[in-house]
Amino acid sequence: MSSEIPVYDSNIKLIPIFSQLTGVWEKRGLLKLLVARDLTVRYKRSVIGIWWSLLNPLFTTAVMFWVFNTVFKTRMPDGTAFMPYLLSGVLLMTFFNQGLNTAAEAVAQGAGVLTKVYVRPEVFAISAALSSAVNFTIGLLPLTLVLLISGKYPGLLSPLVLVLMASMVMLTTGLGLVFSIAYITFDDFRSLIQILLLALQYMTPVFYPITALGPHTRMVIELNPLTSFIAVFRHVFGSNYPATGLNWLMMLTSSILVFVLGLWFFIKKWPKAVAKI
Amino acid sequence: MVFYKEMAESGRENMSREPVLEVTNVHLAYRRSRHRITSLKQTAIDTIRRRIAFEQFYALNGVSMKIDAGETVAVVGRNGAGKSTLMKVVARILPPTTGRVIVRGAVAPMIELGAGFNPELTGAENILLYGTLLGRTPKAMKARIEAIADWAGLNEFMDVPLRTYSSGMIGRLAFSIATDTTPDLLLIDEVLSTGDQDFQEKSSIRMKTLLNSGAAVLLVTHNLAVVTELATRAIYLDRGVPKAMGAPGEVIEQYLSEMHQ
Repeated sequence: MSSEIPVYDSNIKLIPIFSQLTGVWEKRGLLKLLVARDLTVRYKRSVIGIWWSLLNPLFTTAVMFWVFNTVFKTRMPDGTAFMPYLLSGVLLMTFFNQGLNTAAEAVAQGAGVLTKVYVRPEVFAISAALSSAVNFTIGLLPLTLVLLISGKYPGLLSPLVLVLMASMVMLTTGLGLVFSIAYITFDDFRSLIQILLLALQYMTPVFYPITALGPHTRMVIELNPLTSFIAVFRHVFGSNYPATGLNWLMMLTSSILVFVLGLWFFIKKWPKAVAKI
Repeated sequence: MVFYKEMAESGRENMSREPVLEVTNVHLAYRRSRHRITSLKQTAIDTIRRRIAFEQFYALNGVSMKIDAGETVAVVGRNGAGKSTLMKVVARILPPTTGRVIVRGAVAPMIELGAGFNPELTGAENILLYGTLLGRTPKAMKARIEAIADWAGLNEFMDVPLRTYSSGMIGRLAFSIATDTTPDLLLIDEVLSTGDQDFQEKSSIRMKTLLNSGAAVLLVTHNLAVVTELATRAIYLDRGVPKAMGAPGEVIEQYLSEMHQ
């Protein structure tokens, strides 16, 4: 037992983000258990679990490869293999969608516990985003395979994928926290946002090369932070495609900004929202 | 005037002799939508038409109390009087709209036991996760898995997923985890015993041990006989307003006379 008596004083209301983060750090034991729970349920207790995670991106990519290579005849710049290009895009978008959805739902549905015991809800959002990061890591295996088949390999820069993953965890956690409040407040937000997310998906160069776009369209697409995420990913893992310093800057600042602002918004709105779950 | 009990007997660390729980003039406002559901479309329409889509009501309206170590305070009142809301405010789940709550020490919430159980995880994994959700450390929980399983009589079932358990087994496991603690403040919402005849007796004994362990206790129950038996004080809540506070007998009397009006 610790010698310090924990004191809860409801008057200390506007918790600064910094102490909020140290609060989450103190809960890292719980964080670990929650991630372990997600992974156990997904992989250990499910027959197709891990196979599904390996095969699902491959199937999706195969279908998209057929559509865009055979039907639409997408032209890639010289020296870029289309298959790894496609698969890396699919993996990253899955990471984003899954992280965002699970983080938002984990909080919006109260994870079944938020109305029964006191747990900082941010911990649930972060654990959901971290679980998606682990799923993403598993997806790197089929990507490596596809790279090798295409005569390429992950390369020396590949450890930098960790920076990308940390950024994506921050982005999806921050956005997921904002979405969770919207889910709780407005019953129709879920269906409305699906349309916007679909638009965002098409505004990310998953299956088309950004060089094929006209200057105006290209500028709009470049403003989408996910474009930078994808560029960085393709650059460091497989040296498939060049990423600029601007891409790195965009990825890092957007994720930190979304994380901090999302957390700030969430801390402000949560007291009213929790009464509605 | 508040009297402080001698705490030397309980051997607790809270030697400051301040009350374990202090609730000062707490209000909790809910915004209830006029429409059955709140949609973004409806809200946009209402904003344009300048119609107010919400009405406010108070689930708690000026509640104050103090509980010292060793005291058991029971909350009585009709359904929807705010008893469970008060529990959740004290448990830190709902922040008060105005007013103040101070809790000194570790809290053991016993509100809807078993929330947070995962059917796909094993018994042992669930003990670890649920105990940690209740505010204990994973390390402390790991050391207690065997004792908790033992007490629930579920030793042989620790390595199988919870979905294979009967609802009685799940209830026993939840109760065993929740009561495996020495809190400074114990919050009990209608959980005084659980399970079949045998286990009910066993769990009711454990509950009484916990109640007499020197912790401050806040208790919500509809069973008035239990209030008279266990509580040192009682509060009568009516639509969020504390109508009476004091000796359990008198408070129950007032509650019953108003209820039959």
